[in-house]
Amino acid sequence: MSELKTGTFSVSDLENVQINIGSIVGAIEKTAAEEGEVGPTIKPNISGLRDWDYKLFERYNPVYTPMCDQCCYCTFGTCDLTGNKEGACGINMEGHNAREFMLRVITGASAHSGHGRHLLHHLIDKYGADYPLKVGQTNIIAPNVQMVTGKKPETLGDLEDSLSYVEEQLVQLLACVHMGQEGEAIDFESKAMHGGMLDHVGMEVSDIAQISCLEMPKADEEPPLSEIGMGTIDSEKPVLLVIGHNVAGVTDIIDYMEDNDLTENMELCGLCCTALDMTRYRTEGGDVPKAKVVGTLAKELKMIRSGVPDVIVVDEQCVRADVLREARELMMPVITTNDKIMYGLPDRSEDDVEDIIDDLKSGRDDGALILDFEKLGEVAPRLTKEMSKIRKEKGVVSLPTEEEFNELTSRCVHCLACELECPTNLPISDAMTAAEEGDLRPFEILHDKCVACGRCEQACPKDIPVLNVIEKASQKVIREERGKVRVGRGQISDPEIREEGVNLVMGTTPGIIAMVGCSNYPDGTKDLYRIADEMLRRNYIVLMSGCSAMDLGMYQNDDGETLYEKYPAKFQKGNLINVGSCVSNSHITAAAIKVAAIFAQRNITGNYEEIADYVLNRVGAVGVAWGAYSQKASSIGTGCNRLGIPVILGPHGSKYRRALIGKPYEEDKWKVLDARNGKTMDIPAAPEFLLTTAETIDEMMPMLAKNCIRPSDNNMGRMIKLTHYIELSEKYLGIIPDDWYRFVRSETDLPLARREELLKKLEQEHGWEIDWNKKKIISGPTSKLDVSAQPTNVERLCKEA
Amino acid sequence: MADVSKNLKVYTTYGPKSAKGTKPAIVAKMIEKAKRPLFVVGSDVLEEKLLACAQTIAKKGIPVAATGHSIKGFIDEEGVDAKYINIHSLGTFLCDPKWDGLDDNGCYDLIILLGHKKYYINQVLSGLKNFSDLKTINIGRHYTQNATMSFGNTTPEVHLEALDELIDNL
Repeated sequence: MSELKTGTFSVSDLENVQINIGSIVGAIEKTAAEEGEVGPTIKPNISGLRDWDYKLFERYNPVYTPMCDQCCYCTFGTCDLTGNKEGACGINMEGHNAREFMLRVITGASAHSGHGRHLLHHLIDKYGADYPLKVGQTNIIAPNVQMVTGKKPETLGDLEDSLSYVEEQLVQLLACVHMGQEGEAIDFESKAMHGGMLDHVGMEVSDIAQISCLEMPKADEEPPLSEIGMGTIDSEKPVLLVIGHNVAGVTDIIDYMEDNDLTENMELCGLCCTALDMTRYRTEGGDVPKAKVVGTLAKELKMIRSGVPDVIVVDEQCVRADVLREARELMMPVITTNDKIMYGLPDRSEDDVEDIIDDLKSGRDDGALILDFEKLGEVAPRLTKEMSKIRKEKGVVSLPTEEEFNELTSRCVHCLACELECPTNLPISDAMTAAEEGDLRPFEILHDKCVACGRCEQACPKDIPVLNVIEKASQKVIREERGKVRVGRGQISDPEIREEGVNLVMGTTPGIIAMVGCSNYPDGTKDLYRIADEMLRRNYIVLMSGCSAMDLGMYQNDDGETLYEKYPAKFQKGNLINVGSCVSNSHITAAAIKVAAIFAQRNITGNYEEIADYVLNRVGAVGVAWGAYSQKASSIGTGCNRLGIPVILGPHGSKYRRALIGKPYEEDKWKVLDARNGKTMDIPAAPEFLLTTAETIDEMMPMLAKNCIRPSDNNMGRMIKLTHYIELSEKYLGIIPDDWYRFVRSETDLPLARREELLKKLEQEHGWEIDWNKKKIISGPTSKLDVSAQPTNVERLCKEA
Repeated sequence: MADVSKNLKVYTTYGPKSAKGTKPAIVAKMIEKAKRPLFVVGSDVLEEKLLACAQTIAKKGIPVAATGHSIKGFIDEEGVDAKYINIHSLGTFLCDPKWDGLDDNGCYDLIILLGHKKYYINQVLSGLKNFSDLKTINIGRHYTQNATMSFGNTTPEVHLEALDELIDNL
């Protein structure tokens, strides 16, 4: 009997019968084995990588900062867990917070994977399951998928199996949240790590599917630039605003607009990652982006309140819950296009286009649910044209007039209720006083810092629409909000990894700084510019994605240049890359995986632990989620953590309730094995954490440099990294760091220009012995320099294990 | 006398246990009674008038943990024993009885905080409240419910007045 294989065959004796075989039990493992080495964890279940997680937790302690001291999960409670007390079910504060954190992680992973499933259904429906995956110059199409599931997908249909695995595991993880399941914090932590890992698989599936089908840039080393900012939108034209993360339906809008010569006569713009993906659509080969980016979630309410959009289309994720209510006030019909957000609107998917447009333009309905994208493609632009005329005729305005503005600022009684309610306690009261005196500058500063949550308005006893006041006062700066963002390029190509891998592992490229996540910055968008510019000037590779990628493009230097215009976009030291939208974050972990695969020739198939161990000990990368607020940010970060990549959050990130922080004073925790012989090696405390927060940008700068240090650095690499650590600490904190000497293994690790000065410090302040004739260290260092050492945390990888 | 103990308004609660409102004179007494107090200052302390108060408190002989980039305000100050540390790390180490402190002389028994973003320090204090027995007092401008004791919400002017009063009582 011949062996069954995936594919299609027809039974000739039967007419019109075709049997498709999608997957065969054990086939992945068999194929992978035939093709080469296979690791021990193909499609790991919840406990599959528990040993690895435990190794990480032994050094990086889960640290809890609860957001709530009670548990109200079941009707045993509400239980007070203050002081790590146990609740009625026996769970204590640590366990409950670990569970809460895990719940955030799997919520985020579900959002990305749900997005992926929706896209995959849509794209398979449109292009067919056999449509080939094309992501650029690479032999590893899907590094995360291959490492976790053992599968090397080649077609859209191949992705279904990986996504099914993710979905099954997420259900198992969610089941653990139920009362009376897991009881120990450490195993909730391991489960959170599992959820984070799954997230990167789900994101990768989503992005490579859309890159392949939607003619997005494919590992392009110089993708085009797109316009960004509220000031780029021509409000004289009809304006169609799209909000969300899933570009599937928007592509039909773009196609319809092009087919009907509407592109020049209308503005199509977007908020959040849908906007980024709109600019990627059909720009493969450098074509001009077909839409503009307004900005991040922090601009949602501001853009709606500006009154500029004529129609709003929403899809999924990071869309404000009050879009319909806000839009209704301003006669902006809202079209929902995804069953994750429907706002109670009538389903018009089966209705006639003319009827839908009539009902919306007449105001009979505030909006419509349209799940048929072809219909959406026609309704949205046509309705926008109609509404533009109607809204102009009716003189719809939103922001206060000059007179109203003066009345509103003088109405303020300075009770400070708004400031207490403001998540960042912004000085609104002082800005009101200044405005009364004719000085609008304090409000203009608030405009950049304010994330437009609107809580101030809910708190105001005088019913002042505070956000409208801020926006009215900031019209001048809003008009000047015109930047450039690099269109997302997708994966890092194999040739780029081949060229740069050695520099990263040896440390001569000091590190990768990956700036990801949302826009809840404590001090406005300039912070991102400062981080990126500082690290790029120091030859770090800076990777951007999602909202951070957008906001970076909003800030210009004195020459009117954004950093995207200032720095090239290859995967090379001193280059600035935008990988793309939220789901493109998988390309950041993928780059680390590919360094192990291509530079070090490690097998990645079903081999998670070995690759994570490699990344932790050899790839100097640090993630920054400076404005993270979503659950997705927690799952992205946790996926990085399991793979050995540390992440720093902004101060708001403390509200995720859990960090992973090492204790440098516990010397027994800072050891690795040398894979050549299994002997123990001392290492300095870096990365010092897997997840933590920084209070300010200035504090974070030296943290970035320090936590790119890895045991594998050669002396040139360590010297470069230590130079940056010391210099950044001196520049931003005004001090030489207390622990700088711990990273010195020999005199060759010392910054060249300061070698003598630092040798003196080692002798005088730390008691090290120095041979001053040869300017060599005789004794003192706790860790030894051995460029051939093979640092590992996994005993089975040692030759004599 | 600056009455900073009254306005304890919060916009969301954490749970049944909230900081007791306190006054400068009481804080001064607690500092004097403490065997190993630690003055934790955040980056918001770098505002000129606030920094002067913080430096004066530090010069009363209380060791300083300078978080964020606040160390810049203490580098050249004579009579100040200040060290940089990340606040999230500090919160972690303070819960560990094995930690020897910033000066290797053992852990602390009273933490006084000034100059942090309210939402941030409240989270750090949430960890200390739930996983340590440490007494914590926030003498910042906003009521911080996860401390053991806290000044209430005040205006900048009243806050500076309260800090002056605290200094006078030390």
